[in-house]
Amino acid sequence: MTGQKQSSDSGGKEVKAIKNATATAHVKCEVDENGRPITADDPSGRKWTWEEDGYTVFRGNARTAPGCHDNCGVLMYVKDGKLVKVEGDTENPYNQGRLCLRCLTVPDVIYHPDRILHPMKRAREDRGKDAWERITWEEAFDLCEAGLREIQRKYGPEALYVACGTGRDVILYENIFKALMGTPNSGMAFFPGQSCYLPRTFSTNLKGGALFISDYSQYFADRYDHPGWMPPEYVLVWGNNPVVANSDGSLGHWIVECMKRGSKLVTIDPKLTWCAAHSEYWLQVRPGTDTALALAIGHVIVDEGLYDHEFVENWTFGFEDYAASVAEWTPERAAAICEIDEDLIWSVARAIGKAECWTLQWGVALDHTSEGFYTGMAAYDLVGLTGMFDHPGGMVAGLAPFNCGIGWMPSFEDMAWIPQDPNMKPPITYENLVGLNMMGMADSTAILEGMERNDPYSIKAVWFFATNPITNEGARPDRILKVLQEVSEFNVVQDLWMTPTAMACCDVFLPVATYPERVGVAGHQPYLTGSITQAIEPLGEVKSDNEIVVEMGRRFHGEEVCPWKTDEEYYDFLLANCGSGWTYKQLRERTWAVPKVEYYRYKTGKLRADGQPGFNTVTGMYEFTPVALGSMGVPTTATFVEPVESPVSSPELFEQYPLILTTGARNWGFFHSEGRQIPHLRRIQPMPHCRLHPNDAKKYGIEDGDWIVIENTHGSCRQIAEVTPRIKEGVVSADHGWWFPERGADDGTYFGVMECNINKLLSTTPGTVGLGNSFKSQLCRVSKYEG
Amino acid sequence: MRNALLINYAYCTGCHTCEVACQKEKGLGPEQFGIKLTQIGPDQIEERKWQYEFVPVPTDRCDRCVERTESGKQPSCVKHCQAGCMYAGPLNDLVPLMADGKYALFT
Repeated sequence: MTGQKQSSDSGGKEVKAIKNATATAHVKCEVDENGRPITADDPSGRKWTWEEDGYTVFRGNARTAPGCHDNCGVLMYVKDGKLVKVEGDTENPYNQGRLCLRCLTVPDVIYHPDRILHPMKRAREDRGKDAWERITWEEAFDLCEAGLREIQRKYGPEALYVACGTGRDVILYENIFKALMGTPNSGMAFFPGQSCYLPRTFSTNLKGGALFISDYSQYFADRYDHPGWMPPEYVLVWGNNPVVANSDGSLGHWIVECMKRGSKLVTIDPKLTWCAAHSEYWLQVRPGTDTALALAIGHVIVDEGLYDHEFVENWTFGFEDYAASVAEWTPERAAAICEIDEDLIWSVARAIGKAECWTLQWGVALDHTSEGFYTGMAAYDLVGLTGMFDHPGGMVAGLAPFNCGIGWMPSFEDMAWIPQDPNMKPPITYENLVGLNMMGMADSTAILEGMERNDPYSIKAVWFFATNPITNEGARPDRILKVLQEVSEFNVVQDLWMTPTAMACCDVFLPVATYPERVGVAGHQPYLTGSITQAIEPLGEVKSDNEIVVEMGRRFHGEEVCPWKTDEEYYDFLLANCGSGWTYKQLRERTWAVPKVEYYRYKTGKLRADGQPGFNTVTGMYEFTPVALGSMGVPTTATFVEPVESPVSSPELFEQYPLILTTGARNWGFFHSEGRQIPHLRRIQPMPHCRLHPNDAKKYGIEDGDWIVIENTHGSCRQIAEVTPRIKEGVVSADHGWWFPERGADDGTYFGVMECNINKLLSTTPGTVGLGNSFKSQLCRVSKYEG
Repeated sequence: MRNALLINYAYCTGCHTCEVACQKEKGLGPEQFGIKLTQIGPDQIEERKWQYEFVPVPTDRCDRCVERTESGKQPSCVKHCQAGCMYAGPLNDLVPLMADGKYALFT
């Protein structure tokens, strides 16, 4: 079986491969004689609730709100109906008793005086004013139904944009909600290029037919003691600060446990992070040049024959084309582009080329350039070269556990219960964004610009699902604010707080429950599934996000489609619909269930629905050159393209704006725009900061603690300078997600959201396939704020 | 003698969880600490070697969570420490734990 000799069997297979790239492989889980899924953990003796020292303790999984990418086991201590404290669950293999400051302060979120506990409405002409009026849920649902029906009547159901955020389980139900509402337009709210994980998940699914994730033993109930598991010899920490960010469903401190067991780190980051300072090699690259580095590492591995010959020969497709594509990418060339010492590239390439196992701990920085899609491909090919798929201490395929893992939709057929209009218009996008378009997704820049132009087919209503785009992820919030206030005719938000987006733009506010106030299913991750366990009655009149989804579905499709009267009934349906074998109560009883995961499933036929050995791709191989990309008419191998704005690509601009701006780094205590109201979290970082190298600070007359203006051709904002040698000279790293809830709602500034908002300086230009946008490689200048 | 607290600060990432775990356990305000993070560096010691580390230091408000300990639980900071680099117990039990690493011992 030699990959290179296989021809590309085009046609339907390719389209299927592309569609599959947004979902996970549908591999049926094994069940026992009673039809129950076979699990790797033993739940006997595990209780979900008990009495202890005057408290009733509820055991559950923390997900969500508040937002988080993780799924930690929690013990919720309740007295007199009140959640007094939350502790980590020592028995839960995910976090093994540990719990970070954000869950430790969940009671402060739940009982915060600013939390919105009742539905509210506001007249459209009062948008932006603190003129909210409390209403009943009946009136709220009536308003939502009437508002959307009016939009549907005037413009069609496609004029609704289901705008979601990140880090809450509910965003995974976005597909259900948009199908119920009959619109194809959804996605991360005003987030160009869908630049968070999607560029990487799309390319990696095309190349490897699954989402492969670093193996820190989290796939196993017995964790680090699991027979056969080994700590990665090297963890390549690339473009993220995992101990802070807990990127993409990996608990960052698992890496620290691996370090205790011998793992060494390589960190690729313009900033000295804790991981960088504890790395064998730290590559302080110029932002936006990661592709060049990945190609050069590949060059050395190929040139020196350090690749896994057996894997490449038997299980890959397109190696010769790949080898040709990296031939010219010498370390010397890449080192000049990346502004690092050449010897570091040789050293890292040889380290991972010779390692028994290594893992790619990659982060959102790879998505955060316009050509982020190709950056991810280039980094991923290093995994392919070294054969680290389903390899202990390498990258393990993240399949939906018990079929009910990631997003509830292991296959498209599972949405069949929702009636669809065959004449529904396609999503709003631009023709050239071929990758995005083949995935059937809307482009947020096309949505924004269509609203600005008032196109005949454009967005006229927005439903905000766990998102606050003018504060957090929206690029050019000044423009987003304008279209939301002036163009969109109806805006509804589901949230806990009166956020800047809600305050500035929305007409109906629907208050939602936190995780201790509701039931649900956690673990939309490949390692386990489990219950969200209700510990207290919901405060005020808050409802779970999904209760709202179901009621809206019932309003538009009747009881036949949405018959469920309680969340528990709805989850019972979803669990049955995906064939998991559990009811909600059965899941709650055991709180978590760990699937049986084996290594090297590409050899045993367990990565493909047809049971054949190989990867779930068009060729059945790991595709260095994805066949489906060729059919889209775009390059099938990665090449380095300078960021749209850079010292090299726009030297004249660079003369005026001589610093590289990178944004989006995570901070302890906050989850993007969340957490500013919580005193014990805000104490850690009270105000927005921008990191500046001491030499740059000196050049521009700035001292540590000064307020500075950061500006470029797109916009400007101000933050506080943190002068530190941690950041690369010539680069500034600015905080995102800032607002000031303590200001109150009525000063007309929407909690000061535009003052420190670094997203005003971003571009909105996704790259070749429509995935990726420049959040981490803009140009800017700084000066002392003289306000 | 009260329990000692041992920190293997080679692995402390500075995540502030110990501070907040303590504040919540003891009902302290955001500016009151039973344990407080301190920072070393960032200091470039040689061309490719940086020291950028954290050491949590218990304060006089810390009673080593004597109530929790008596009911068989770990102190809240030790239990929740994200890096698993904190240990509490009688001094004599902790001393043998100090092998590879960088340790700070608080009695």
